[in-house]
Amino acid sequence: MAATTGAAPLPTEATTFTERSRSAGLGRRKMKNALLWGSCTIALALVVSPLLWIVIGVIAKGVSHWQWSALTHDHASASSPGLLNAVIGTFTLMAGIVVIGGVIGIAGGIYLAEYCPEGKGKLLRGASEVLSGVPSIVLGYVGFIALVVGFKGTGIHWSFGLLPAWIVVAVLVVPYITKSTEVAIRNVPTAYREGAESLGLSSGFTLRKLILRPALPGIVTGLIFAAAISVGETAPLIYTAHWSDHTNFSLIHSAFGGVGYLTYGVFEFLNEPSAHDHVLANDAAMMLVVIVLLLIVVSRVLVSLTQRYSPDRPQRLGRSGK
Amino acid sequence: MSTRRPTLPLAATRRRKSRLLGPAGVLSVLTAGALTLAACSSSSSSSTTSTTAAVRLSSLEKWPTTPVSVTESGSTLLQPLFAAWANAIHISWPTVTVQPAGGGSGQGFANAASGISNIGGSDPYLSQAQLAQYPALKNIPLAISAQQVNYNVANITPAGTHLKLSGKVLSAMYQGTITSWNDPQITALNPGVTIPSTPVAAIHRSDSSGDTFLFTSYLAAADPTGWGTKYPANTTEQWPNAPGSAAAQGNGGMVTTCAATPGCVAYIGISYLDQASQSKLGYAALQNKSGNYELPSVTTVSAEAAGFANSTPSSGAISMIYGPPTDGYPIVNYEYAIVGKQPDAAHAQAVKAVLAWAVDPNGGNAPSFLDNVHFVALPTQVEQIALKLISKVTS
Amino acid sequence: MTTTSERSRGPASSLLAGKAVGSSSGGPGSGEGQGSAGGWGSGGAGWEGSPPASRQRWWRFEQMLPRGLTVAVWIPLLAIVLLVVVLVVKAVPAIRFNGLHFFTSDAWSTGNAFGSVVTTGGVRHFVGASYGVLPLVVGTLISSAIAIALAVPIGVATALVIVEKLPMRVSSGVGFCLEVLAGVPSAVYGIWGVLTFGPWLAHHIDGPIARNMPDVPVLRWFRGAGPHNVVGQGHDLLTGGLILTVMILPIIAATTRDLLRQVPRATVEGATALGLTDAEAVNTVTLRWVRSGIIGASMLGLGRALGETIMVAMVGGALLGSSPHSIFSAFNTIAAAIVTQLEAALSDPTGLQVGTLAEIALVLLVISLAANVIARWLVQRGVGTALPVGRGI
Repeated sequence: MAATTGAAPLPTEATTFTERSRSAGLGRRKMKNALLWGSCTIALALVVSPLLWIVIGVIAKGVSHWQWSALTHDHASASSPGLLNAVIGTFTLMAGIVVIGGVIGIAGGIYLAEYCPEGKGKLLRGASEVLSGVPSIVLGYVGFIALVVGFKGTGIHWSFGLLPAWIVVAVLVVPYITKSTEVAIRNVPTAYREGAESLGLSSGFTLRKLILRPALPGIVTGLIFAAAISVGETAPLIYTAHWSDHTNFSLIHSAFGGVGYLTYGVFEFLNEPSAHDHVLANDAAMMLVVIVLLLIVVSRVLVSLTQRYSPDRPQRLGRSGK
Repeated sequence: MSTRRPTLPLAATRRRKSRLLGPAGVLSVLTAGALTLAACSSSSSSSTTSTTAAVRLSSLEKWPTTPVSVTESGSTLLQPLFAAWANAIHISWPTVTVQPAGGGSGQGFANAASGISNIGGSDPYLSQAQLAQYPALKNIPLAISAQQVNYNVANITPAGTHLKLSGKVLSAMYQGTITSWNDPQITALNPGVTIPSTPVAAIHRSDSSGDTFLFTSYLAAADPTGWGTKYPANTTEQWPNAPGSAAAQGNGGMVTTCAATPGCVAYIGISYLDQASQSKLGYAALQNKSGNYELPSVTTVSAEAAGFANSTPSSGAISMIYGPPTDGYPIVNYEYAIVGKQPDAAHAQAVKAVLAWAVDPNGGNAPSFLDNVHFVALPTQVEQIALKLISKVTS
Repeated sequence: MTTTSERSRGPASSLLAGKAVGSSSGGPGSGEGQGSAGGWGSGGAGWEGSPPASRQRWWRFEQMLPRGLTVAVWIPLLAIVLLVVVLVVKAVPAIRFNGLHFFTSDAWSTGNAFGSVVTTGGVRHFVGASYGVLPLVVGTLISSAIAIALAVPIGVATALVIVEKLPMRVSSGVGFCLEVLAGVPSAVYGIWGVLTFGPWLAHHIDGPIARNMPDVPVLRWFRGAGPHNVVGQGHDLLTGGLILTVMILPIIAATTRDLLRQVPRATVEGATALGLTDAEAVNTVTLRWVRSGIIGASMLGLGRALGETIMVAMVGGALLGSSPHSIFSAFNTIAAAIVTQLEAALSDPTGLQVGTLAEIALVLLVISLAANVIARWLVQRGVGTALPVGRGI
């Protein structure tokens, strides 16, 4: 459907065509034009079709052998191993990562947007961007060496558990939260600050009521993306949270050998001997796709809220409007 | 085995009898019952003679009264068995929770060495260098495993034939010098069998694996000049990049990849034999040192292991690949528990109990557990070695 | 950029003002108390009619706030420093042992792990230990190059359609698709590649190409291996490269789309008014306007492709010790090698393997940071997309 819309020129452009038709070499130019938009449409199809293939394919594979025991039993269960421990682990990991990463990232974002001197800001923003370019497996490796195994003399030898996973993936998502917070705050019109200042409002009050409030949807969107990243990561978790067949909330020195999560199931269960585990791998993949879809829908709703708080519609802010 | 049974002290048998819930199942209960009878009826003189040398199981199998959680990680070959053990143990002794996690033999060693896991599962035994680095570590034989060589070649006639393969031929296939399944070197080993000209695709493990160590040990032993000098046995091998060769992760990955690759040849742990057969993969009769071609079965694996029962050193570390027994299957190994210093006395006690139960022919080494994964129980002598090692576990 | 500096000065002065008239600011503050702003809303509500002591506490908190925030803002920098320190500390013995030969060697061998340990130049290692990063670098660069070569034209063309042709509602739908593509976890891409896409390629696409390609330089890369033109089961460079393409498409398309939306309409309309066709206007105006941005977006995508781990570990065939010789050959990347080999490395009591992994992690870090830094420098204007580019989603 999108493809046909893309191919057909819009009415206004059709009229310009007829006006231009008097110029020389038109046939060839017209053909080139059609060629460009034709290939662009093919490109669009090349983006959309793998998406449909992946999403529908993964969900279909998951549904075809779906059993509810996948959601009601731990993988340790002898009768019908499921993924409950991995689902709980995924959300526990996500919650911790969003809280830790959120506190650091939002604080950093506020500082960069509101308080930071120019020169320092350049350095800090640069660091944040460099960090966002570090491959996650490198972070995982360092987390494993420095936190799980630990260096002699640091006193850190945490073994597997939630804490090393939280820290490593939180470090990974902080740049995104910082960036989205900073962007959201910067989108709040300067006039608000000026107005607040002229009224003699305290800076903290201005920040809370006049700046953070309209920026909130943008900030929360950043947090949701952080949540999606933490749900989808595998590489940094393998060597920090590792895996457990049981539902487990150990922070460090997990007696259960680690914490389960869904991406591990996708990555490893195909290598297990039992056919049931292969089914679970597909189930885990389906659950991940569903979770990511839900998170994206929520973030879309929030983005539309952001637009409601845009400078064009200040009446949303209550006292400053109308 | 039956000669040994009366040696068990009565207290132990009585306790075992009470373990009615144990999913070692009917068999365990039956043997326990038989044991009680045997212990009651047999003369006590025979038991005293053999217990002087033997480590008494009852002294090790002291289950803790307060809840203890024992973590196990490592070998994926051992993992399914350990998972079954863990369930059985938890049902019979709810105070003990065993947490098996895979990860591979390398991780088993590393986690045991660093204390991340109480028990590390491993296919290979500890190397000299590893022992030098971590003198407190022990490798305790738990059961006997084997490895089959699977292939995916359609239309072999007569149907149902197990191809005969030798270490030299496998070495050539993995090096890319044999590229077709009807190569004269293969057909020469299989007179009367028609093999199609499917191109050979040699599959190997991408992750560090005890299976790779076992298989390359076999190639190195059977083809010392062609393979051994170039590619020393190792858990991570620098494989020749033969045409069509591919890598797969884990034993499950080997089965999947081999099933999808016509002409594949792959080495796969014996606990995956059922899965491989379900995927319609054939498995080969391998040439042993005496020149006989043997299929992996309880008989041939036991025969190979029996040949090493008396030569297994007290450390438990020995390679049983390509051994002298004439009717033995050539790729056989002990599955090991790598155990180091335990964090506290309670864990030490629990680990001892778990491992002692695991090597007990009426406990974890009962056929009801081993048959599912095609493992074979430890010979009596090796069980004694294991028990001695277990008794040295400390906190 | 000018607004930045203005703004950064602004609040600082308002902070001073707040100090001076702190008590009077309580008035309007209490009036606002009924609003339920998230985050610190409760704090605001508590302010209303609260005793002076608590107000003072708030006041002090507000003064401390910038200092508190400073701690958080240094964390990324601190993390990078710690990261590099840990890697370098771990890598030093390996760097000393492997030397420069490391960058030209194909080898990946622990040596005789069941033999004795020897010491060379103060570094303990097994007899015959030898490591080289070349095949991993080759695999990383080729797979990323395939992804970039395909994803840049497709992504830019998609962005053009979205911005220039599609009605708002449809383009928003395509935007949703891009976000989903970016959000699908790499393990899910991996399982799709292993179970669906790789076998499909192997059965329907690879064979005809591999069998019919002439055995001449360059085209040899598209031939199957050996005398039988074996193509395998899709655990190869082609599958990996194509899935990487899909994975980085959303980054390139979304970034380019946001850049295209910043192109002043008047300029494009001017070009059309001069009688240019849409295609010509795109060529002469639009694309030129965003050219450096597109290069930047491509580099961001490249950064993602270079660091991709789990998908490659699942579909790449994990070749060690040799470089791929055709697109139907197994391959390995630095990132995938770290995740699959770290476990093996742990059983090496000499520690050389773990160190070597730290060394290749440093190599990866340098390559991907170079790509990222160039990218950020080129996209500089800070694309206002909510899509956090560079990682999964």
